[in-house]
Amino acid sequence: MMAIKTTPLGQSIPRREDVRLLTGRGRFVDDIQLPNMLHAAFLRSPLAHARVLSLGTQAARAMAGVHAVYTAQDLKDLIKPIHFDPHIEGHRVPSYTALSGDKVRFVGDPLAVVVADDRSLAEDALSAIEVEWEPLQAVMTVDEAVASDAPLIFEDLDDNVIYHALHEYGDLDGAFSRADRVIPISIKQARVTSSAMETRGIVVDVNPASEEMTCYASSKAPHMLRGRIAEHLGLDHHQIRVIVKDVGGAFGGKGAVWREDLVVAAASKLLGRPVKWIEDRVENLTAFGGARDQGVEIDAAVQSDGTILALRMRMWLNHGAYPGMWLTPMFAALVRATVLSQLRVDTFAFETLIAATNKNTYISYRGPGSAETLVRERVLDVIAAELDVDPVDIRRKNLLTVEEQPWEMPMGVTVHRAHARETLERAVELADYTALRANQVSARADGRLVGIGIATSIQPCPGFPDWWEAIGYKTEPAPARLRLEPDGTITLVTSEMPTGQGHETTLAQVAAAELGIPFGHVRVVLGDTQTTPFYYFGTGASRSSNMGAKAVISAARELRRRLAELGAARLGLEPYEAELPFAEIARSIYADGDATSLEAADVLVYYKPSPTEGGWAASTHLCVVEIDRRFGTIEIQRYIVAEDCGQMINPAVVEGQIRGGITQGIGVTLLEHAAYDEDGQHLAGSYLTYVLPKAQDIPEIEIEHMDIPTDDDFSARGVGESGMLMAPAVLANAIEDALRPFGARVTELPLTPDRVLQLMGELPSESSGLT
Amino acid sequence: MKLSRFAYHAPTTLGELAEILVEKAGDAAVLAGGQSLIPMLAMRIGQIGHLVDLNRVDELRDLAQSNGTLTIRAGVSQRTVLTSPMVRAACPLLSEALPHVGLRETRSRGTVVGSLVHADPAAQLPAVVVALDGELVVRHGSNERITAVADFFVAPFITTKAPGEVVTELRLPVSHPHMGWAFEELERGPFPLVSVAAGIELDEDGLVKDARLAFSGIGPTPIRARTAESSLHGGQAGAVEILEAVELALADLDPPSDVLASASYRRRVAAELARTALVQAQARAGGCA
Amino acid sequence: MTSGGYRIHLTVNGLDHDAVVRPNQTLADFIRHDIGLTGTHVACEHGVCGACTLIVDGEPVRSCLMLAVQAVEAEVTTIEGVSTEKALHPLQEAFRETHAFQCGFCAPGFVMSGIVFLKENPTPTRGQIRHALSSTLCRCGDYLGIVEGLERAAARMSDQRS
Repeated sequence: MMAIKTTPLGQSIPRREDVRLLTGRGRFVDDIQLPNMLHAAFLRSPLAHARVLSLGTQAARAMAGVHAVYTAQDLKDLIKPIHFDPHIEGHRVPSYTALSGDKVRFVGDPLAVVVADDRSLAEDALSAIEVEWEPLQAVMTVDEAVASDAPLIFEDLDDNVIYHALHEYGDLDGAFSRADRVIPISIKQARVTSSAMETRGIVVDVNPASEEMTCYASSKAPHMLRGRIAEHLGLDHHQIRVIVKDVGGAFGGKGAVWREDLVVAAASKLLGRPVKWIEDRVENLTAFGGARDQGVEIDAAVQSDGTILALRMRMWLNHGAYPGMWLTPMFAALVRATVLSQLRVDTFAFETLIAATNKNTYISYRGPGSAETLVRERVLDVIAAELDVDPVDIRRKNLLTVEEQPWEMPMGVTVHRAHARETLERAVELADYTALRANQVSARADGRLVGIGIATSIQPCPGFPDWWEAIGYKTEPAPARLRLEPDGTITLVTSEMPTGQGHETTLAQVAAAELGIPFGHVRVVLGDTQTTPFYYFGTGASRSSNMGAKAVISAARELRRRLAELGAARLGLEPYEAELPFAEIARSIYADGDATSLEAADVLVYYKPSPTEGGWAASTHLCVVEIDRRFGTIEIQRYIVAEDCGQMINPAVVEGQIRGGITQGIGVTLLEHAAYDEDGQHLAGSYLTYVLPKAQDIPEIEIEHMDIPTDDDFSARGVGESGMLMAPAVLANAIEDALRPFGARVTELPLTPDRVLQLMGELPSESSGLT
Repeated sequence: MKLSRFAYHAPTTLGELAEILVEKAGDAAVLAGGQSLIPMLAMRIGQIGHLVDLNRVDELRDLAQSNGTLTIRAGVSQRTVLTSPMVRAACPLLSEALPHVGLRETRSRGTVVGSLVHADPAAQLPAVVVALDGELVVRHGSNERITAVADFFVAPFITTKAPGEVVTELRLPVSHPHMGWAFEELERGPFPLVSVAAGIELDEDGLVKDARLAFSGIGPTPIRARTAESSLHGGQAGAVEILEAVELALADLDPPSDVLASASYRRRVAAELARTALVQAQARAGGCA
Repeated sequence: MTSGGYRIHLTVNGLDHDAVVRPNQTLADFIRHDIGLTGTHVACEHGVCGACTLIVDGEPVRSCLMLAVQAVEAEVTTIEGVSTEKALHPLQEAFRETHAFQCGFCAPGFVMSGIVFLKENPTPTRGQIRHALSSTLCRCGDYLGIVEGLERAAARMSDQRS
């Protein structure tokens, strides 16, 4: 890489996108106003499980301002049923339709859509739709779902099991028989939801004369949306254009195509007018989808010195009713493929049980495999407690060293250049761990409940290609296109689709650094399927800072090479000129219309990592908490992060991602529960009952960047999910440590004040009946 | 969550306001601050055909003190009351509680009377006015009735205000200068879980002459713990007496269990807050204590 | 009494507007769709998240909890009215420097409530800032960046005054 005087790489350059976002000049889906636009509202089931005996839309259709009311019956020839291909053997995938027809399977299940002059009128018409129900028994938990007398949720399946598999590696019986102790651990998490500040929404505009369909979407995967609409509505890809401008947060869920997207597209096609649907917050909290809602039981075979010989794990996951685009066996596979990550353990069994229930769709939510860190770090801490070993020492005992890498995990995943131990030691040093433990002793003597938690993780951001194979996916190549403009500036077209990650700035930094030109000379274009190269998955899995950036670097290197050649040929420049005069070369090329030169000025590259490219980020989080004995509330007194994500494109962006992930992790650990009662009623449908973290809930966070050298020439790895992976683990450990005087075990999240007082024996242990 | 259509009335006199409400009784709601009403209409909880805005009725903007009574009329915002030095002197409990009610952004429009009429069982102001033995003036057409706040709250979100009626005024007795007041609450998320309002007045010998203890968030309505209060009379309101009083207060309680907290948690919080509030009130009680 | 159009006159960011509104229109929707200023965002419609905050007659208001008909003769300032063509407001500038926001959907709410907070609390402590900022939600969640931005703006604006 050519270095210039002040490379923008590694600088916390203020973001370009902030000027418009801070002044209210962003363009989000609800900002789109088109002439003749109509508004959609969905009729959603108030029951968790029921047959629809009749659906009367006559009265609704007749209401003022209503243009159409569509049901499954109306759309059956227009939208193909939804059926995802199982890509893992043994995975059962039920079929369903975009609007539910004869049966509803969760509270919020859409059965009809009203299209009217405005949303208020559409909602009025919803209440005029007459439905006759036959309520069925609701199935809310995995245990209920797999019981022999469980009601069947999907008639095209034999039972409610979506996936049940056992993966075994190594000689488990041998390891368990050799063990000094077998220690049981269990940890489960409640259902939560992503609740981005911008809800879902779409505007679809079909021009009946040209048969072109333009979709304005809040999506992080525009090409996926285009493809799925084409597939389900029987359209050609080139008829459809998806435009995404600003997205108010995605956190995973907006990387899927939703039933509502298909219905709105069909409505616009039928009516020949633009149709807008904006999800309201109640829909978003109840009908959009849920995540986590899983539990793992572990048996750890250990030696008395703390060495882990083998682990047996059994994971259940509450799938909800309808499968979404990201299939749940993959989430379980994420856990299976990363839970061992930096441990020196190769004898391992992982049983997965995923069952359908009458809850909303399982969604991908920032760090969908985060159970792996929660499980592993809880296992380490429980083993430490049972064997009376310090939690830091138990990690020193079991974490791989750099010298032992590359290490192959038993499922064929390579761990290499993963600096877990280094981040552990650094965090311990920064915290002055010995002093913290000494302080804890005196605090305990005063009756104060102070706890210290530690957790370490390595994240496959992007990992190596074998990690993706292990979870059943192939790494999709990442594109980048660089075009030299007539004035020598550069247009960078990326298929990354930011929803807060700052790509308009970070990728411009990467391009400018690689090309050796000022940051201000690169402009990033994205979000329009008409312009951007094909990229199905879109942005996600914390890959963009590595793969998205490497695509840009690849393209930039190629452009530089070509321009250097052209500069030498046309302007007599030295072939290895450090700073190419882009403006001069551009003027020369565009002036004489030479075809070869013009072609050369436009570079499209698809970057695919070789088997040894990619890498793991690593981090250790350490925190100190104190429990208020009166109320069971948690004060996080100190929070330290030591992390290695390689070189940082924009340190402020990295820190924002880490801190934001920690905030969401605090939410999942202490506050949030997308709760259902035994009848399947969703109880957390507003911000009064679904409690999001606010400024006062977040501690001061100290972040130390390590950037341990590797031999990559561009070593950036992703951090987007790390805060979310780590915070629940470190907080669960700290809270259990604070509760040490009571001998309590943390086995369930969220750790509400209620639950904390129960663990202290101050309140009776009672089940709320909520799941 | 878009509001359904309704007819809108913006009367400029109290007489006009009362008349419209009688005419449209059962199909109308009064708009004061709207901070509780508008979200309910957005969620389509209770449909109305008529919305009657009281904000143009100048006489409902009155905040005044005379003859030992603080009068807060229906159009007075929470912010106006919170920032009033007169209220801080006359009714320190109210001033202490108001910064906890809603948010800066909702107090500019939300009204004190409106919060009472909304009767959210977890809202703070109902507990405060119940502790203060407040009274409400309720108008029906050209008739007025006065009701003690103690009788006003019936069930969650339900009061004795009948269709066609409008609450025009809250009356609070001006606090005795040596009475100590305290307000404590615990929030879960953006809003209160449990709140406690307490007051202690001591006589020349430092013994309790008047004790107030009221809760919200632990029952269908705000609860005034009169048995607990009586138990404090004539005593010193020391640690032991307070503990016993709080136990008495909780004895008959049946707090709800919901997604935010269990009944036993609410009970626990109520006990802790009540202890703290009573201790604080006692410490603030002036005179010879 | 009216259920159809109701005439209102108000000023928005210093400009006069005569408009006909329906009583069931919130101020948020009126500003966004009738006036066409889409910088004020709607994210919860029950007054909790704060994305819709704007300033009415000097007071910070949740525009999803106010009806357009209540804004008669009101002076409304929205996020679009806070900066000039030449410069960002010091608070916007500071937020940009501290990378306070990521997706930016909540940013207008924080700016509007932040401006009023700074007016009323020109030399706030970090604790006061954290408390005040707790009235608005950010799901991208870099609250420390937002706190730092406000702190920086407070310091600057206070320097400017002295």
